[in-house]
Amino acid sequence: AGGGRMIDRLRKWYYNAAGFNKLGLMRDDTLHEDDDVKEAVKRLPEHLYNERVFRIKRALDLSLKHQILPKDQWVKYEEDHHYLEPYLKEVIRERHEREAWNKK
Amino acid sequence: KRFYSLKVAPKVATSATAAKVKLSPESQDLEITKLPNGLVIASLENFSPTSRIGVFIKTGSRYETTSNLGTAHLLRLASNLTTKGASSFRITRGIEAVGGSLSVHATREKMAYSVECLRDYVDTVMEYLLNVTTAPEFRSWEVADLQPKLKVDKAIAFQNPQVGVLENLHAAAYKNALANPLYCPDYRVGKITSEQLHHFVQNNFTSSRMALVGIGIKHSTLKQVAEQFLNIRSGAGAPGAKAVYRGGEIRKQTGDSLVHAAIVTEGAVVGSTEANAFSVLQYVLGAGPLVKRGSNVTSKLTQAVAKATSQPFDVSAFNVNYSDSGLFGIYTISQAPNTGEVIKAALNQVKAVAQGGVTDADVTTAKNQLKANYLMSVETSKGLLNEIGSESLVSGTHTSPSVAAQKIDSVATADVVNAAKKFVSGKKSMAATGDLGNTPFLDEL
Repeated sequence: AGGGRMIDRLRKWYYNAAGFNKLGLMRDDTLHEDDDVKEAVKRLPEHLYNERVFRIKRALDLSLKHQILPKDQWVKYEEDHHYLEPYLKEVIRERHEREAWNKK
Repeated sequence: KRFYSLKVAPKVATSATAAKVKLSPESQDLEITKLPNGLVIASLENFSPTSRIGVFIKTGSRYETTSNLGTAHLLRLASNLTTKGASSFRITRGIEAVGGSLSVHATREKMAYSVECLRDYVDTVMEYLLNVTTAPEFRSWEVADLQPKLKVDKAIAFQNPQVGVLENLHAAAYKNALANPLYCPDYRVGKITSEQLHHFVQNNFTSSRMALVGIGIKHSTLKQVAEQFLNIRSGAGAPGAKAVYRGGEIRKQTGDSLVHAAIVTEGAVVGSTEANAFSVLQYVLGAGPLVKRGSNVTSKLTQAVAKATSQPFDVSAFNVNYSDSGLFGIYTISQAPNTGEVIKAALNQVKAVAQGGVTDADVTTAKNQLKANYLMSVETSKGLLNEIGSESLVSGTHTSPSVAAQKIDSVATADVVNAAKKFVSGKKSMAATGDLGNTPFLDEL
């Protein structure tokens, strides 16, 4: 139990040190857009997609002004939802299935 | 196609005095069972090298409402979408890998999903078939990608003018249900949602409205599969509206030099004795050429119209039966300038039959043609599957070809005359497409 709490604290520290939450971004916004991620983003339902685009736009704007959000608007570690993960997992599973079939 | 396979059939000891040569000595009769939840299972084990299995569902465009038109059409095209048990990719590749095929055939009140494969791979394709009919997921991006196909499908179908005329005919003849088009209306392309598809499947694909039919498979296997897997949705689902015949006319001016016109009245319900009378009347009047490029000597309609015009034309009797209504009448294709004469000559010929102008010889010829047509249609495994499935859905029983032939024979000349009288006196519906300058309106006929 103690070991688990240690890892959580480490994770939280690393998340805040990474700093993208200060620009109002979530982890899945920062994923490198390879083909799988592109396909997964295509499958997002409309409201999730719109929120993602808004966050990225806001972050680009802040970055060009060399600013960050005020502290109360930073994304908290507990509130960071990995919204893209189920779609990304499905895309990768389908790709593996296709590759396995084509190898046969 | 070989209907009987020596490999699979049980060995029969040959006797020195073979009394009768039977094509398939051990082929069993058709077995049909009705499960308590309403599902009908029918199978014919004919030891054929291929098996053909179909899931027939009592649903179709007639069960749509004005808010979800086109759902049945999209559903037709969505048979290869991802299901709970297999992804779309896997369904396609899996069926291809065993050399099988999956197809969907739908009418206004019936949908049939059928798979065909070599007997050894029945389990594989059966799994995909069940997945597609019971557990489709309709993922929103897959459905969105599918919508342009509606346009392509429609464009291909409407290359044939008859399709357009028949859609208009049904829209003119009925107020609801059967008036719904088989093909998605243009304004609905791109607007059908995954929820609507789910809703349609939930409400219509219920056990009591389904039939599982197999040819070339054991009854016990089918029964086991049905009890295990086809038990998901019970109940009768959403009831369809009763089709109300109204009798109207729809004219589509296109400027085409060939005019297609159909004039019908309400006909007979499928399976009724009246239906047989109408079928015989259809063949008495002429139901399409029997000899290619021949002169159609036995068709009364063709002979009558040939006296009225020397221009090329085609005329045949049109007959369709649904579960609670039917349509019977004539279908003409003629040059635009003399459409009026063609239609009037055809209608006069039917009037002549209604006044008794048909001999017993004519009726016998027609009966033979009808019987031959029917028997030939159930000779292929596809036709047979379709026939067994349709009948299982409607009545849960099967009429053997010999009984069906008997029923046709029992139609008397008087019945045929009565059917013609019904057409002459009934409220008519009409649909016409082409350059309609010379095409009479219903009230002018």
